[in-house]
Amino acid sequence: MTREKRAQKVSFQYLDPSLPPNHPCHHYISVMSVDYKSVLWNKQKKYYDIILWGLIFLWFISVFIFQYVMHEDMTIETMIIRTTAVTAFFLLHLILMIGPLSRLNKHFMPLLYNRRHLGVSMFLIAAVHGIFSIIQFHTLGDTNALLSLFISNKNYLTISDFPFQTLGFFALIILFVMAATSHDFWLKNLTPEIWKALHMGVYVAYGLIVLHVLLGALQYESHPVYFVALVLGFVAIAGSHLWAGLLENRKLRNIESPSADGYYKVAEVKDLEESCGTSIFVNGENIAVFKNDGKVSAVSNICKHQMGPLGEGKVIDGCITCPWHGYQYIPENGQSPPPFQEKLATYDVKVIGEEIWVHPRPRPEGTFVEPAIISNGKE
Amino acid sequence: MTTTLSILLIIAAMYMVLGNVFSILFLWKGLDKVDPGTKDSGIIFKLLLYPGMTIFWPFFLTKWKFDS
Repeated sequence: MTREKRAQKVSFQYLDPSLPPNHPCHHYISVMSVDYKSVLWNKQKKYYDIILWGLIFLWFISVFIFQYVMHEDMTIETMIIRTTAVTAFFLLHLILMIGPLSRLNKHFMPLLYNRRHLGVSMFLIAAVHGIFSIIQFHTLGDTNALLSLFISNKNYLTISDFPFQTLGFFALIILFVMAATSHDFWLKNLTPEIWKALHMGVYVAYGLIVLHVLLGALQYESHPVYFVALVLGFVAIAGSHLWAGLLENRKLRNIESPSADGYYKVAEVKDLEESCGTSIFVNGENIAVFKNDGKVSAVSNICKHQMGPLGEGKVIDGCITCPWHGYQYIPENGQSPPPFQEKLATYDVKVIGEEIWVHPRPRPEGTFVEPAIISNGKE
Repeated sequence: MTTTLSILLIIAAMYMVLGNVFSILFLWKGLDKVDPGTKDSGIIFKLLLYPGMTIFWPFFLTKWKFDS
């Protein structure tokens, strides 16, 4: 079976009407292919983008009207600068919260898989803000506009008159690098490790933008709504990260000490939906456990293609299917079906009563491991 | 400070100009040699890669030269 043919099957499963509407396995957005696509658009992604840009437009208009009501004497250029700033900053908050929210609740997963479209949209709006600001404030003199950005105000040692524009400039550079490298091509060619490190720069950009707002707009804006919104945004981002982290820590603590033979109890059978998986960390190992057709198997949680989280995937056609790009693996031996060569480490697993136990010692990649049989509460 | 910043901006501008020249050449002639998965890719795909290529062009110049 070719990758393209399997990709078609994945798309079909995504629309499977036999699953209830709120079934987590509907969250698949997979198009598997060895070649790149310009933009991964399927029916769901098109709906997503239409809704996304519709909501962005409504938000933009609302903020624009709010600005007009609050400052009737404001010029159109300033209103565009402010409205794009508020819109991009709001979207940045959403982007930063999608990760922890999807760890807290699987229903946020579709937003996670579509986050790059949201990120590129946010960058484009932020770029409009930056370009309009530079045109309005730094192109009227005889100094180069970019040079003017850095030297028109040299009070770098003050707080109340700090040249906050420079902070926004550096934040915009980070966002540009992230948007420019959002395509799968960059993930593959820069290597997943470097790509991920690069994209963690979003937190640096967020910090710079918070300072940009604190030392800029909030120095001139006396209305408390802006300060309250900034604090609430920070609390929402920090709170969702902390909440997700605490719950994951609690989940880890709930994994009991190993039994005498080195197995860890990782879940209850009823916790796993049929043909679905879950991700666990045991003894430093990132493991995906799947329940399918009365059996339980465990493989490495990291897809060989682009490090996708296999535990968030589903078993399709008897194969574990990565939620990111549809790469597939046979649960029992972690091998991609022929002719493909990818292999995952496998783990010994057993079911005792209603409990799933996994041994965190990885078997060599592609090693067959007998799946545990779920049979009337007995091993 | 002004002189230092001017020099830095000129260096950055030169880096970007070289990046633009390289990106056009590389996306036209070298892309599928460095990454065979991009073979037969369209103009829209290459345009999407263009901005990033102007940033990371030394990396791809090395890869292109090495792979050749």
